[in-house]
Amino acid sequence: MAGTHMTETFVLMSLRARVWVAFALWQITAPAYALPPQRIVSLNVCTDQILVDLVPRERIAAVTHLAADAAISAAPGKLAGLPVSHGGAEDVLARNPDLIIAGAYTTPATVDLLRRLGRRVVVVPLPQDVAGVRAVIAEMAEAVEEVGTGKALVADLDARLALVRSRVARQDAHPTALVYQINNYVAGRGTLVDEALQIAGLKNGGGGVRTFASGQTSLEAIISAPPDLIVLATRPDAYATTVGDNLRHPALQRLLQRLPNLVLPWPLWLCGTQHIATAIETLAEARDALLRMTQRTP
Amino acid sequence: MTTPVSPLVWWLTAAVVLAFGCALCVGPGLIGFAGDTEARALILREIRLPRALLGAAVGAALGVAGAALQGYLRNPLAEPGIIGVSGGAALGAVLAIHLGLASLAPIALPAAGLLGAAVATLLVVTLAGAGTGPVPLMLAGVAVSSLTSAFISLALTISGNPFAAAESVFWMMGSLADRTLTQALLAIPVMAVGMVFLFRLAVTLDALTLGETAAQSLGVDLVRARRLLVAGVALSVGAATAVTGIIGFVGLVVPHLLRRYTGHQPSRLLSASALGGAALLLFADTLLRLLSPWLDIRIGVLTAILGAPFFVMLVVRMRRELTP
Repeated sequence: MAGTHMTETFVLMSLRARVWVAFALWQITAPAYALPPQRIVSLNVCTDQILVDLVPRERIAAVTHLAADAAISAAPGKLAGLPVSHGGAEDVLARNPDLIIAGAYTTPATVDLLRRLGRRVVVVPLPQDVAGVRAVIAEMAEAVEEVGTGKALVADLDARLALVRSRVARQDAHPTALVYQINNYVAGRGTLVDEALQIAGLKNGGGGVRTFASGQTSLEAIISAPPDLIVLATRPDAYATTVGDNLRHPALQRLLQRLPNLVLPWPLWLCGTQHIATAIETLAEARDALLRMTQRTP
Repeated sequence: MTTPVSPLVWWLTAAVVLAFGCALCVGPGLIGFAGDTEARALILREIRLPRALLGAAVGAALGVAGAALQGYLRNPLAEPGIIGVSGGAALGAVLAIHLGLASLAPIALPAAGLLGAAVATLLVVTLAGAGTGPVPLMLAGVAVSSLTSAFISLALTISGNPFAAAESVFWMMGSLADRTLTQALLAIPVMAVGMVFLFRLAVTLDALTLGETAAQSLGVDLVRARRLLVAGVALSVGAATAVTGIIGFVGLVVPHLLRRYTGHQPSRLLSASALGGAALLLFADTLLRLLSPWLDIRIGVLTAILGAPFFVMLVVRMRRELTP
């Protein structure tokens, strides 16, 4: 990692003079009155998905190369066709952005360099709960000067969650659900997924699995004490990857034949965005179906 | 002349049987079984049985391959993991998976593994040569294993797989977890054929202890021996690694531990190392499941932790022998 940063820095150092000239020229030619940011670059696949709902497309100078990847992004269709950057400082500067939005995990070296070159960089945290999602949307809306749109986005999210809550409250039952991911990972307490399960009226856990922290479990632990509902993060065949073998394992396939389960597409909750509402609605529907089934077979 | 089966072989066989039984009876953090009858049957047949079968077969394959390589090269440091044979196999498997070959025909995975292992073995054996001492072998091994790990990372990066990092860890530090019965039944016959090839080297290896010229005067065909070695190591280590990833140091430690009990006879060391390797890997994997049920500590990590000090010990001993 250090090696990459050093090369990046080196390449940029040699370009620095040129960049300064470009910057100075832009300063001179820029209009005197302050417009909201018109050339926004997003450096994080999660901020891409919020940005596209906040500003008109022509104000987006670049999104990440993952933005239109259906395996990762929750809104690949909406983000398709936008200019794409690969996140390197040089690539970003070439687009002459007036606002750069980075995620908490964007390489600090890149962010630091862009700031030292005089660019405005807003670093957005990765939300771990719904309150965090609201905060991030508000923060980004303020940065792009679309506070109204941001408020509308948050109001829509809140309305959808309120609907789910009222639906869930009709039946006082809390079936257990386990979000089982590639490489035996399960979502622990204090994660966005954990809160999503709670809102949808489900209890994170079951399967003899300790869920106080995110971590790994084993197929055997799940089979010996299965939860009421298994939530798969991806379709087992979505990736040709060996670490996904746990989702393709015949023992799991056999268990899924007799255990209620659903696929909750990874992109919906990978990022803390407004799309978490879709994930929560899907979970609540699965809970309803589960409760109907158990009532029918007492 | 028939050699009676030595007590060592009986002891080791007993150890393998015991280890296999333990492997079937131990789950993550518990001895015995949890859940209802249906769950127990599923766990035994689909999870513990493939794991135990693979543990035994992979341990045996690595043990024999280590013993054969050490005997043929007359070099105590020869080990499939260290000299890059396992790396070649892992690279073959990674390419097969990410080019989609493995999903076309299941046999493509072990086949690609053994092809990669064959190329790596051929490279190292040719570069280092037999009986040239540890230095050329280690240099050739370092070259081949760093090249293979670089290519594995490159292949995974290019594949655009969001799990590339986890996937690299799988191949570099092998694991017996979540392997299926199908994978086991596909790879084990290939490993078995490889081990038969290596066992046929027994007489040659004994003759080679006298030096190459003496061996040739005893009627040993060195070209045939090299072919058998490369094919045997490629088949056994290649098929094993294609399913479990790289499990290092087993092929180093096992022959070293057993050498003194086999009268320093490479022929007797082969069968002893097969049994010893199987027992060691089964016991280690079972222990791991008991001790760390909630953390997937990989068997490759454990064998490296156990094996590295052993390697250090060998280095210290060699230095003592070299300095007057």
